[in-house]
Amino acid sequence: MDKFEEAFNKIIEKDRKVEPRDWMPEKYRQTNIRQISQHAHSEIIGMQPEGNWLLRAPSLRSKQVLLAKIQDEAGHGLYLYSVAETLGISRQEMIAQLQSGEAKYSSIFNYPTVSWADIGAVGWLVDGAAIVNQVSLQRTSYGPYSRAMVRICKEESFHQRQGYEIMCSMAFGTAEQKEMAQDALNRFWEPALMMFGPHDSDSVHKGQSMEWKIKRESNDHLRQRFIDRTVPQAQYLGLTIPDDQLKFNEETQHWETGPFNWDEFWNVVKGNGPCNQERIDHHIAAHKDNEWVREAAAAYAAKTELEVA
Amino acid sequence: MKITINKEEAKFLVRIADTSLILGQRMAEMCSKGPYLEEDIAMSNASLDLFGRAEEMYKIISKIEGNQFSEDDYVFHRNEREYYNIKLVEQPNVDFAWTMVRQYFYDVYAKEVYTQLLQFENSEVKGLAEKVLKEIKYSHSKSKNWLYRLGLGTEESNNRLQIAVDHLLKYVSELFNWDDLDKKYFINCDQIETQWNTEIDSVFEEINIKRKEVPPLSMRDCRDGFHSEHMGHLLSIMQYLPRAYPDAKW
Repeated sequence: MDKFEEAFNKIIEKDRKVEPRDWMPEKYRQTNIRQISQHAHSEIIGMQPEGNWLLRAPSLRSKQVLLAKIQDEAGHGLYLYSVAETLGISRQEMIAQLQSGEAKYSSIFNYPTVSWADIGAVGWLVDGAAIVNQVSLQRTSYGPYSRAMVRICKEESFHQRQGYEIMCSMAFGTAEQKEMAQDALNRFWEPALMMFGPHDSDSVHKGQSMEWKIKRESNDHLRQRFIDRTVPQAQYLGLTIPDDQLKFNEETQHWETGPFNWDEFWNVVKGNGPCNQERIDHHIAAHKDNEWVREAAAAYAAKTELEVA
Repeated sequence: MKITINKEEAKFLVRIADTSLILGQRMAEMCSKGPYLEEDIAMSNASLDLFGRAEEMYKIISKIEGNQFSEDDYVFHRNEREYYNIKLVEQPNVDFAWTMVRQYFYDVYAKEVYTQLLQFENSEVKGLAEKVLKEIKYSHSKSKNWLYRLGLGTEESNNRLQIAVDHLLKYVSELFNWDDLDKKYFINCDQIETQWNTEIDSVFEEINIKRKEVPPLSMRDCRDGFHSEHMGHLLSIMQYLPRAYPDAKW
């Protein structure tokens, strides 16, 4: 072990942060790039299912809240791309990887939002699950990522409340609204739980990431925290969690769920979800349609810089 | 629900509120479709400003009208012919040039409109105008900058900009078809037109864009609730939920 590696190991061991200027093992760099860019892509692709209802939001207030939320997500994406850039990859490269399918994003965004209640469910469950994960990542070992998480978590908790507020107005509204709320919960519950990734026994990236403190808590551990927090919220709404094996274990003081449909999870990850193609096509179209705008901006910048010089 | 607007002051102000709202809705369409992330965020910001501006104005209108209707009633329960926005702002986002030309044309117009509202008798309108002018100052400098980039960027961007300008100019003369209400509440209608023409002509000259002659148009006026075909589609999307579930509270 050379002195660089020794220094790196010491940082990890002492629970200090690895900074961009520090030496780090290539695999540590790559793992962080993979995880951070995947996180950034999720924020960006996540704008689409919510944007699907932006023009149809049912009140001026809900329209502005949703728009502000989507805008926050764009901001998180931007911030996270910048974090990944400190590891030596450009935003253009990351976007190319997203569009080619080489880089992944959270599979949950491959599900469609088919009613206004889905916007509530996405905020409540999807952002709710994301927060549990991100709070844990505030202690991740890569400094810029850890600091980004601190900042992002503040906004995410607002997003979750916004989602839950929609669920409240739907669940306590007319019979039709309540039905929409239940339907949204039925469709988003299991995909939200699977956002935490495979069970610990099946997780491929787990060991090394935990050792390097990139990941601080296991998938199952985080998932359980989310379930315990969310079940009472569903009960308050008077909605039924779509799992007939769900029960509270008095001994462990945890909610226990039935088995998940992992076949569907992997099928959606592989690209066969309801909206995988649409999400990427939308991203590529926006990128391509505006190529001339970026060229114009670059050409103008080049001309005006010449004039200034 | 039949929405009525009776007071002259409210009838005048609703034109301004509607114009903000409809442009906000158009700008919201650009969310996740920007040329890059920074611009995407900026367009959402513009949209948020416009919705906020509309909401505050509807609140004032509601008060003037004796609180008969809420701001959401005005937004979600009026039909096409009961909307009074300028047609310019309902024009679609054909490409980024259309979006920016529409925004710039509006910003130049709105800057003078809200400047004159600073002298309005109703103090709430005055207060709102003060706040809005800060937003417009920023939006105006941003949209103007984009006109420079597109006009002087590449041959393609100049062409696209020219096409957008040619189309959207058609909806500009309507801005200045002043009626008695305008004349009663604006301090100086002619100044709005003069300012607009002066700025546009000087900018166009600098960015290599031609302002073509627009012949007299046989087009009914927005002040009488007339719109282009785009408006009905915009409203049917925007108003869908409250109309489909009239008993629901959101």
